[in-house]
Amino acid sequence: MSQTPLVEMIGIEKHFGGVRAVDHVSLELYPGEVVGVLGHNGAGKSCLMRILSGAMVPTAGEIRVNGQPVKFDDPTDARDAGIETIYQTLALADHLDAPANLFLGRELKTRFGNLDDARMLKESRKVLARLNPNFKNLADPVSSLSGGQRQVIAIARAIYFDTKVLIMDEPTAALGPSETAMVADLIRQLRAEGIGILLVSHDMHDVFELCNRVVVMNKGSLVGAHDIEEVTKDDILSLIVKGELPADWTARNLEMSL
Amino acid sequence: MSQAIKAETGRAARPLAGLIPDPGKIHRLSALLTLLLLIVGFSLASPAFLSVSNSLTVLLQTSVIGLLGIGMTMVIITGGIDLSVGSVLALSGVGTAMAVKAGVPVGPAMGLGVAIGAFCGAINGLVVTKARIPPFVATLGMMLMARGLALQLTGAAPISQLGEAFGRLGNGALFRVVEMQPNGFPKVIFPGVPYPAILLLIVAAGAACLLRYRQVGRHIYATGSNEEAARLSGVRVDRTKIYAYVMSGALAGLAGNVLMSRLVTAQPSEGVMYELDAIAAAVIGGASLSGGVGTVSGTMIGAFIIGILRNGLNMAGVSAFIQQIVIGAVVIAAVWIDQLRNRR
Repeated sequence: MSQTPLVEMIGIEKHFGGVRAVDHVSLELYPGEVVGVLGHNGAGKSCLMRILSGAMVPTAGEIRVNGQPVKFDDPTDARDAGIETIYQTLALADHLDAPANLFLGRELKTRFGNLDDARMLKESRKVLARLNPNFKNLADPVSSLSGGQRQVIAIARAIYFDTKVLIMDEPTAALGPSETAMVADLIRQLRAEGIGILLVSHDMHDVFELCNRVVVMNKGSLVGAHDIEEVTKDDILSLIVKGELPADWTARNLEMSL
Repeated sequence: MSQAIKAETGRAARPLAGLIPDPGKIHRLSALLTLLLLIVGFSLASPAFLSVSNSLTVLLQTSVIGLLGIGMTMVIITGGIDLSVGSVLALSGVGTAMAVKAGVPVGPAMGLGVAIGAFCGAINGLVVTKARIPPFVATLGMMLMARGLALQLTGAAPISQLGEAFGRLGNGALFRVVEMQPNGFPKVIFPGVPYPAILLLIVAAGAACLLRYRQVGRHIYATGSNEEAARLSGVRVDRTKIYAYVMSGALAGLAGNVLMSRLVTAQPSEGVMYELDAIAAAVIGGASLSGGVGTVSGTMIGAFIIGILRNGLNMAGVSAFIQQIVIGAVVIAAVWIDQLRNRR
């Protein structure tokens, strides 16, 4: 991949008092690739993703989008740059219906500045039908919907607005098998469309199924960045747990390339 | 889109979904029914209850609770509470009266009163969002400060002799028909629609439209529903909350002007415990103290339930102490129903 990366994070640091939650991490993401972001809870991956999504301001470091340095002060800045995030909690307002959630913070308005609910409903119906043709409960508050339907709304919200980079935090953790398959399918489709995806996941199966590359974090540092072909599940587990590859990894990979 | 995406995510087993109204509507419907029952009950107990003059009295009394309740509803939907409205009402009324005494015409003076209320609301909002003080504590502080300031400014004495123009907002009426009798006394043929009631109607309609059709209204609901989600979605949560507190303060100021104008006297000790009536009106009308839920129409029903309870119990000769007990019980019952609704 010789193109410009969609996103580069260079020497990102985030300190909380004396704690280095993210310690000099660099990461890039190219169009059409899925990068798995792995690590223990508290390894700093959520923190890193929150920085990229604008929900957290880094202590130091630089973010570049299409080669241009940018500064994200809040989530709106990141969204304007084409970086969308699907949070593990889905970040939905339970009392509002699907269209209101889909357009929350970016409401469509009529000429008089009123909310254009009719158009928002129409657009929501379109994008939701693309994800799940069975989705009919557009007027219900999202609290009354199933986990899968809520996930569909969160995804729809992330892909509706000219998205270039998608951050997915544990997108399948709360889903049943058929819904997980749906999300996996969607990820493949988005990848084919040239969107770059950062996939935070604990599910090794998903990671090997979907990712081109993996990066592993341990205690705030980046301890490994590998193409998916050059590592095994055990290699990744070793990186996650011990922060280093198994002793025989170099030998094995030399063998492979010989 | 590929085949696998046709995953089953629909909850198919909801055949009656279209027939059963949502819980918010049920709540408002039951409140409306309660209101009608109260009206029927009181008119049976006291024939004077349904008379034109008493109906107008109820309308007047309710307009103050209603104005406070509308602002309170906005704050409650954001997940907050505003305990300062009773005191802000007094401070605003006193401010208006002092301006009138200083020679300011009544119109601008009342504008000043509303602005004082809005200013108090802005401080509430800033303390809640920027200093991160819980709304209960922040507005409790404002409740004491505004009341203290009103008493300090007036030396705890009412300001009277404010002139006829000052009393027009509270005592005037649209379409009043008066006929001079041969004996020289005027006879009121139709007492007209009181200005406070018209004001309440306009404010209620405006607030309902704001919550329903404007972006800030949508954001008020989103903030109360899930503050973190709203923030991550790009809603300016702090600004939204400040907006709600400013509205509550401004409407308390307006209510203060209406009340003081009605009395043609500015009473620094007026409006004690009114915040509780306003909260009760909102909660009876279906607003949830945990945020995200509430409507202006519901609060209007709630305000009329309280206004009619007060008036009807008065007419039936029930003591003010018993009235407190009854209204307290009604508020608890309303919150209990709200809890049941959320538990299901």
